[in-house]
Amino acid sequence: VGCDRSKNLVDICGEKNFQAFVCDALSVPIRSGSCDACISIAVIHHFSTAERRLATIRELVRLLRPGGTALIYVWAMEQEYKNQKSKYLKEKNGSKDKEEEISTDVSQRSLSDQMPGSSNQDSACSSQLLSDSKDKDCDAKPVADSRLPVHTNRTSFNSQDLLVPWHLKGCNKKKEERIDEVLLPAGSKGSQELSPVFHRYYHVFCEGELEAACRSLDCVRVQKSYYDQGNWCVILEKL
Amino acid sequence: MKLLTHNMLTSHVRGLKPRGGFPLHIQKENLGQSWGGKLGGSVHFVPSLPPLQCNFAFLLSLPAPVGHQVEVLEGELRCPASGRRFPISRGIPNMLLSEEEA
Repeated sequence: VGCDRSKNLVDICGEKNFQAFVCDALSVPIRSGSCDACISIAVIHHFSTAERRLATIRELVRLLRPGGTALIYVWAMEQEYKNQKSKYLKEKNGSKDKEEEISTDVSQRSLSDQMPGSSNQDSACSSQLLSDSKDKDCDAKPVADSRLPVHTNRTSFNSQDLLVPWHLKGCNKKKEERIDEVLLPAGSKGSQELSPVFHRYYHVFCEGELEAACRSLDCVRVQKSYYDQGNWCVILEKL
Repeated sequence: MKLLTHNMLTSHVRGLKPRGGFPLHIQKENLGQSWGGKLGGSVHFVPSLPPLQCNFAFLLSLPAPVGHQVEVLEGELRCPASGRRFPISRGIPNMLLSEEEA
């Protein structure tokens, strides 16, 4: 069974005949200890404080039965690791706009096949994420500069907390088409500037950060901790 | 939402006593069948079932594989403790709580 906070994205799962429901990762409507395994792929890095990120992991662990395992993938600060650039960086030239960042912040193998590709629905998703990023966590110390940098897609990260632009291009069926013109009146030039851009909050993780967060929970054992195509990954076991 | 899925879901409204939110009552408007044949005894049995307080093994063992194949497409899930209703549309339950409820 799958879940996501975006109703529009979950509806797509329904269209494909998958079992899924809409919920918040901080409050999953499933009984404690009822899952053999859970996965959390490219979710936790959207939470805007360390506290909330830890709460998400705690919630994931709550669902597991003793001996159950969880797989967590989050976007890494280090997009180049051991002298290898991640696929996210490598696709800088000639990348299709539709794939921009949505499907490549996770390993490009089987996992990214399951990532939503339709740009129609992503606008609603982005709006929800925008309101997530305005999370008013009053416990946080005031930061000297509380503005979040806006990332340039397909480049290395300069900051752990940032906004990643997402360009809404409108309906498109073929990846190859330049589809900005669909949105605009015939004959208009410079369509690029008129496409709406959404900014999605990310906290990209440093090496060891995800693992440390998992280890801080006392009912958990970290089975495996690794790097995969620009992501930090952990497999944990509920004790 | 298949019955197997329903069996996993619980109400998570804040302040419920432990296990108070499970199982959710199904209020169906539109049921689907994801197989060609008919369930012996008709699909109407679903809403009249008492809340399914059973485990997967039981659901899977039923003569017609009920958990797999009967789906609620439109309807509601009702929390047995708080009465809070969660809508189901196009087979998808929306379990999102408001800020106050969570």
